[in-house]
Amino acid sequence: MSKKTQEELDRWSKEVKRGAVTLAILALLSKRRAYGYEAVKLLDEKMSFLALEQGTVYPLLRRLEKRELLKSEWDYEDPTKPKKYYEVSEEGLKALGAMTQTWSILSREMRDVVMEVE
Amino acid sequence: MSSNDPLELIDQYLDRVRLYLPLDSEDAIVELQTHLIEEAERIGGGIMTAGSAMMAIERMGDPKSVAHEYAGSGKKVGPVPAEYVNPLSRMLIVLAGVALALIVGFTMIGASLTELFGAEIQNWPFSIPVMLIINVTILLIIIGGISLLDRSKPLTEKTTLETIFGIGVGGFKPKTKWGAAGDFIMGLIWGVILMLPVVTVLYTAAFQAVYLYVVVFLLLGAVRGALFYIWGENNLNLAFEAILSVVWIGLAVVLVNVGWPIQYVYVNEGGSWSLFNLVEFFQTNNIPFIPFDWIWAFIMFITVAISVWRIIVSSMKITMHLRAGRGIWWQGNWGEKRRLRKPFWKRVLGDQDAVQSGTTYHDGYIEPEESQ
Repeated sequence: MSKKTQEELDRWSKEVKRGAVTLAILALLSKRRAYGYEAVKLLDEKMSFLALEQGTVYPLLRRLEKRELLKSEWDYEDPTKPKKYYEVSEEGLKALGAMTQTWSILSREMRDVVMEVE
Repeated sequence: MSSNDPLELIDQYLDRVRLYLPLDSEDAIVELQTHLIEEAERIGGGIMTAGSAMMAIERMGDPKSVAHEYAGSGKKVGPVPAEYVNPLSRMLIVLAGVALALIVGFTMIGASLTELFGAEIQNWPFSIPVMLIINVTILLIIIGGISLLDRSKPLTEKTTLETIFGIGVGGFKPKTKWGAAGDFIMGLIWGVILMLPVVTVLYTAAFQAVYLYVVVFLLLGAVRGALFYIWGENNLNLAFEAILSVVWIGLAVVLVNVGWPIQYVYVNEGGSWSLFNLVEFFQTNNIPFIPFDWIWAFIMFITVAISVWRIIVSSMKITMHLRAGRGIWWQGNWGEKRRLRKPFWKRVLGDQDAVQSGTTYHDGYIEPEESQ
């Protein structure tokens, strides 16, 4: 792969990831609540393409919480490691439903278009 | 400063991150703390050692960037990089607050602001900002020079610049539980002492007329201490503190004119206590009463300066809490340093319900030589 192609791929990947990451976090947290570190590891394990690092996940969790798509609760059971658990709110579930529907249409249409090219 | 205690390393690193965060970011710090501990345990295969903690810290990266990425340390303001906006503005507020507190204090005791410590200030007040700019520039050059020496320091050790930024953090810390208890006890004790008949007979006539206001103020101070002790820092308690500070400044205006409040002192003559007229003694012996007047003016100056500072800090915190949507009252926190480690006395007594230490080990890790 040429340097130019690699640069274009990197730029395009970044744009795709930007759109996909909110949906990925909402989808994962809709199945079960998770605290920050757990969410980072979960995303790392399940979404290798996104290659999300801690520096991306935490701010995003905060932003989604601020936008009331996520809600959080502190667990102080282990005083050395208090855990802030995030889960999808009512509003977040509605947004997730709408996003999933759009993503399905997008991916289906994209697959068709891409298959035509292939 | 080297350590082979993994929890201490994490604590030191988080102290650095804290400097670049907005005042009310303790949640972000706790979240980062948990992340670092779990990551260190994962790296160490379930056991946290100083080495694995250091690796987790290095993976997290530079404290400035972490603060900026995780909790948004602010927006770029003019030439100031975004990461430095919070610590710099905090320091400027501290400087402005201290200056304001001193000016109000000096004005209150009638000291001339154009003549301090015997020296006349030329071109008042224009010389003040000019001198400030010159001094800050010199300071920045010195700090810049020292910072060059800090480049090889490990991530857990504060740079010289961060040590200076730390001044701003300390000034805004919430009252500690012990401090609040002290306010309550001292307010109560002094309020009662000032009302005792054996004490009130010592007052000058002018102070006799106003001492009850001081007593009421001290008792209200005790109430403030109790409020902070029970409910920590919240907007209601902060507002109460600000109002009390305003009341004290008003009261100080009267008290500074009342002058030295003690006319008599107790003396023991032949085994019995009698009253000795201090003021009369100075007057009849032609000794100026100046030292006592100065002591009184100094006391008033200090208390007024503290009150002004409290008003500034309370107003800022109330605004900050209101912006965060916290309302008027909630169970607030105290300013105790959050510790990852079990306190020494608990370790000695073998307290079981504190921090689990089963997964923390010392592995003989010592920070690099250049950190010394």
